[in-house]
Amino acid sequence: MSDALLRVEELWAGYAPSAPIVNGVSLQAARGEIVAVLGPNGAGKSTLVKAMAGLVPVSAGRVQLAGKNITAVPAHAMLASGLGFVPQTENVFATLSVHDNLLIGAQALARAQRAPQIAKIYALFADLARQGLLPAGRLSGGQRQMLAVGRALLGEPQVLLLDEPSAGLSPKVVAELFAHLRVISASGVAIVLVEQNVRAALGVADRIEVLVEGRNRYSGAPSALAEDPTLAAFFLGATRAAPP
Amino acid sequence: MNAQVLADGLISGAIIALGAVGVTLTYSILRFANFAHGEFVSWGAYACVCLAGALGVWWTPGMDGIGPLSIGWNVVFAGLIAMLLTGLLAIGLDLLLFRPLRKRGAALTAVIASFGASLALRGLIEVLFSSEPRYLSQDLQLAIPLGAGIKLTPDQIALLGVTGVLLVAVQLLLTRTGIGRAMRAVGENPALARVAGIDVERVFRLTWFIGGALACACGILLGLIVQIRPAMGSELLLPLFAAAILGGIGSVPGAALGALIIGLAEAATVQWLGAEWRSAVAFLVLIGVLLLRPMGLFGRPA
Repeated sequence: MSDALLRVEELWAGYAPSAPIVNGVSLQAARGEIVAVLGPNGAGKSTLVKAMAGLVPVSAGRVQLAGKNITAVPAHAMLASGLGFVPQTENVFATLSVHDNLLIGAQALARAQRAPQIAKIYALFADLARQGLLPAGRLSGGQRQMLAVGRALLGEPQVLLLDEPSAGLSPKVVAELFAHLRVISASGVAIVLVEQNVRAALGVADRIEVLVEGRNRYSGAPSALAEDPTLAAFFLGATRAAPP
Repeated sequence: MNAQVLADGLISGAIIALGAVGVTLTYSILRFANFAHGEFVSWGAYACVCLAGALGVWWTPGMDGIGPLSIGWNVVFAGLIAMLLTGLLAIGLDLLLFRPLRKRGAALTAVIASFGASLALRGLIEVLFSSEPRYLSQDLQLAIPLGAGIKLTPDQIALLGVTGVLLVAVQLLLTRTGIGRAMRAVGENPALARVAGIDVERVFRLTWFIGGALACACGILLGLIVQIRPAMGSELLLPLFAAAILGGIGSVPGAALGALIIGLAEAATVQWLGAEWRSAVAFLVLIGVLLLRPMGLFGRPA
């Protein structure tokens, strides 16, 4: 893909250099594209996005955003470099109010821009607008995910990484959250989505990347997944297949 | 308990509060119990007495008492500079000692290292200044009757005012400013704070600075009503930790209330049981809180 906004090239990463979990993974995402990263448990999906976000040491390879190498950028400077990350769990500051969480996301904006940008997030996630003063720890699971996404969006990222945003949410809330992701991607943000909920991910993704044992196994359109009997059996649960 | 005991407890509590706020911020944001915090109290007091002396030589009118107070403007300016220097001392200690240990994830080693740092800093004071007591002022002040049987000196009244202003300022910083919000965020979840774009190391440095500066203020105010001695900070360490834990780790109002309770308990003990029992009070309160309500008055369950 020549017009890739995000380009991950042969990335090796893990908590200990001697035991990499991500073994030379490559991945691309274009502006406005939603890429779902799928794979069985232990495939290295979460480690991959954490490494891209600067939270897990990278031993080789690189991450490029809009042509700029951001592999060695510290985690706290990633958002300013254009890459936002929403962790799977503990992704809001539970003791801070919803509004304070958003203000933290907006800290890099000029003071005059903060209120209008936060108003846009409240407009996008109407549920949050009614809960501004509530401690974020008292929100429902879906509202927390929306707050975490909203906080990351206030950093005006070009690329948004989400680690299993549907975990623990009801199908209705997942559908609502993924509809929001569609709106966000339509604004030009590239979204890389790690998911265990394969059916939901296939419904929202423009393209999928399948990882197995920390390596690329398949890359292509979601519809093609169903046409590959081995992958379909494994990921869509048609039969109890062995990992492909 | 008569009203004068309450007033004495309030004075003690105000001094403890300034140190306890530093302890609670360091404990909650850096997640480590810094046993060298008491030495910041001593170093702050010594820095102030030295700077006040130097300013007095250069600017003699500055040594005249401010209104009814026993100290002059030289002590006020020296105190502000000493707070800056003690804050920088705390940052320096972090950069040299605690940050490398933090990077290695050696949390327990950092606590032990803080014991070592405490001994080294106290020893250095004795080498530089000897163990002879120093005084910010040797003027004899008469206590003013305030009604209800309470008498306080002007210095003690000023101490309460300064403590109140500093505590309110820290609470406003934490709750009304962007950097305060970032400090609370780092205290709750440093990994998420990094992802959210917060420079966690910068927040750590600011926490050290505020803790050091408040410890210095604590030392100066303590030095205003008693002697300045090398062991003054280490002797205060147990009440500081007792107040921080009683109030609930991370809570500035909690630390202030905890300090007030410790101060009042100490004053009551001195009156009813004798001064030799004073130092046992903080220890008993600490044990009681840890057994009955480990999260303290305003803390959150782990």
